[in-house]
Amino acid sequence: MEPDIVVDARFKSCPGPLIALADAVAKASPGQVLQLLSTDPASPSDIKEWCAGVGHKFLESVKEGDVYAITIEVGG
Amino acid sequence: MTKIAIIVASEKLDKLFPAITLATTGALSGWEAELFFTFWGLLALKKGYESSGVSGDYQMYDAKLKEALASGAMPGWKTVLEQGRKTGRIHIYACSATLGLFGMKPEDLESFVDDIAGAATFLSRAKDAEVNLFIA
Repeated sequence: MEPDIVVDARFKSCPGPLIALADAVAKASPGQVLQLLSTDPASPSDIKEWCAGVGHKFLESVKEGDVYAITIEVGG
Repeated sequence: MTKIAIIVASEKLDKLFPAITLATTGALSGWEAELFFTFWGLLALKKGYESSGVSGDYQMYDAKLKEALASGAMPGWKTVLEQGRKTGRIHIYACSATLGLFGMKPEDLESFVDDIAGAATFLSRAKDAEVNLFIA
């Protein structure tokens, strides 16, 4: 799925990627698809938990080399 | 609303980071976070104060951590705190007894400190927190 917005948080350690994603989500609209690029191995589970807690849809996490591409849909 | 309450009793970077990371992550997840800075933790709230680094037994990692901070790979604790405080759900309290012990005045504290408080205030804020931590 083509994301509407890509958030590049590669080479940032926890909680950098979540902060970057949360920042982008705050500026986005419900239904928009955001993709987080992260090299933090905790990101797939952290983002999944965060989405479940705050009401966004976790779509997928794909690992390519050392980079996780994590896609979510902003909730209403 | 879910709540985390933390007593921060050290200004060492390896103690500040977990406290601020958990508070900010909680706040970004819709939690309330109550942070009570006491004893050596209070020093971190002093205007212009620079942390003295990592805890004594782990000095060999001090340069490594500072390098990660300088390169931006690890965001500084004040940057992380600032992000969390944008939610309006992180509350920072300075321990009044330690403030007196250090001869500090309210105006010596950073602007992100919400209030000066005592044990009764912290207990009242922490009593319904699902997560309660003492980090020293």
